[in-house]
Amino acid sequence: MLKLIKLEMRKFRIMSYIRAAMIANVVILGLICFISLNTEAKDEMLFSSYDMVFSIIDTLVRGTYIVFASVLISRLVIDEFRERSITVLFMYPIPRKKLIAAKLLVVVLFTLVADLAANLFVGFGFAVLNLFTSVIPESLTWSVAAKSLLTVVMSALATSFLSLIPLYFGMRKHSGAATIVSSLIVVALVCQNVDGFTLYSVIAVPIGLALLGAVVAYLSIRNIEHVDC
Amino acid sequence: MTHIVRTKQLTRAYRGKEVVSNVNLNIKQGEIYGMLGPNGAGKTTVMKMITNLVKPTAGEIEIFGERLTDTSFQLLARMGTIIERPIFYEKLTARENLELHCEYMGYHNKKSIDEAFELVNLKGIEKKAVKEFSLGMKQRLGIARAITTKPELLILDEPINGLDPIGIKELRDLFKMLCKHYGITILISSHILGEVELIADTIAVMNDGKLLQEVSMDHVAKQTAEYIEITTNESSKAAFVLEKHLHISNVRITDEGQIRIYDCPIPQSELMKVLVLQDVAIEAVHKKKGSLEDYFLSILNGGGIVA
Repeated sequence: MLKLIKLEMRKFRIMSYIRAAMIANVVILGLICFISLNTEAKDEMLFSSYDMVFSIIDTLVRGTYIVFASVLISRLVIDEFRERSITVLFMYPIPRKKLIAAKLLVVVLFTLVADLAANLFVGFGFAVLNLFTSVIPESLTWSVAAKSLLTVVMSALATSFLSLIPLYFGMRKHSGAATIVSSLIVVALVCQNVDGFTLYSVIAVPIGLALLGAVVAYLSIRNIEHVDC
Repeated sequence: MTHIVRTKQLTRAYRGKEVVSNVNLNIKQGEIYGMLGPNGAGKTTVMKMITNLVKPTAGEIEIFGERLTDTSFQLLARMGTIIERPIFYEKLTARENLELHCEYMGYHNKKSIDEAFELVNLKGIEKKAVKEFSLGMKQRLGIARAITTKPELLILDEPINGLDPIGIKELRDLFKMLCKHYGITILISSHILGEVELIADTIAVMNDGKLLQEVSMDHVAKQTAEYIEITTNESSKAAFVLEKHLHISNVRITDEGQIRIYDCPIPQSELMKVLVLQDVAIEAVHKKKGSLEDYFLSILNGGGIVA
């Protein structure tokens, strides 16, 4: 399986996606810096504590990487079906289930690692900024950092699986556009914030959606050995 | 003789309509097996079923002596294929595509990639992205990919599409060489009769999902042998003279009243002399050779064999 994952990454030149993810992280950091230094945001107490800032960063990162994952699904899975290159892949002496599972694992692992790295990068970047600008008066303690890190890890795990939900819509007509549009709907669902209340903070929501993502992945490979290409 | 591929009553239906119907193929080891048929005859579907891309509705396929099932992955390692059109990862270079192919196939002889490029005459452009390739170059690259792992069975669906006449000849020679020197069995489909005629040992004629005939080229050669065609108004009398005076019985009278003499044992001049002496009025005499096209069309039209 490791070899298949490596081949997938080689085939789709994963480095270009890593570069794109780095750029996205810099943009998110820039956005956070811009908002935090904006006086209106200060007035609305959006950046009153590290907890709050890390939560905002996590939400932005989550939204970004759910869409990012849908782009990966579109390239790695949907395009293979649409451009018929899947027929080449399915003529190799490897179970089809393994081939598709390798692709989905690339998406899940990429999203997980990218989500974590982005949270750490932007969080750290903001903490450095705060040293000079004192947007947040309190200092960053180990306990706040550890608690935020735990939340980020749990959130990233859920995000990496729920980001597979668009696969279901994309596979129906092998449409990349449907995949990306459905990912935006998922983002709207898990990244909204109404007066400080987010659906994602209800623990059942991320767990439920992550399970749904896993089910979608399972359904996509369950009968794959028996279908025509 | 060992059979590499055998199909028994192979059938595939889509929404109740059979696109392949009770096809029995027998492909022998080391031969070039040509599948002939017009578009929509079911050739590609048969090939897809042999490569496990499409599952049969009924019947069975035996490859290398084993029954093909949905999970017969290991059998695929012994095949090289181009089905419908050569498909690649277009942004990757030709070499990268072949390297990936070898990795997936579990074939680790790097030299074979260079050999394959050389065999299909693509040496020097293997570092180009495939998206810059013409259709003909893609066909060559597809063949390179199919042969790079030295498969026992090569399945090529219309492999000469998009090639120029020189390219066609090169590939024809390549197929013959692969068959002769490497013992590779080749299943090739085409609607270009002349091409199949030049390389195939056995042909299968398909139409409307049915296998109309599976026949060796030796047999076809006999059926499409040279003959002398005589145009006369007295065809019955001419036939009588041929039989009585020259003892030629391998004669056929066509619907148009012409007489065709196969395996004529005497020179044409001698033949004419006897007929004229017996007062048979001759309008024209031609020496002709039946083509595979005649044979093919006669089978497709449901008639007997026309030479």
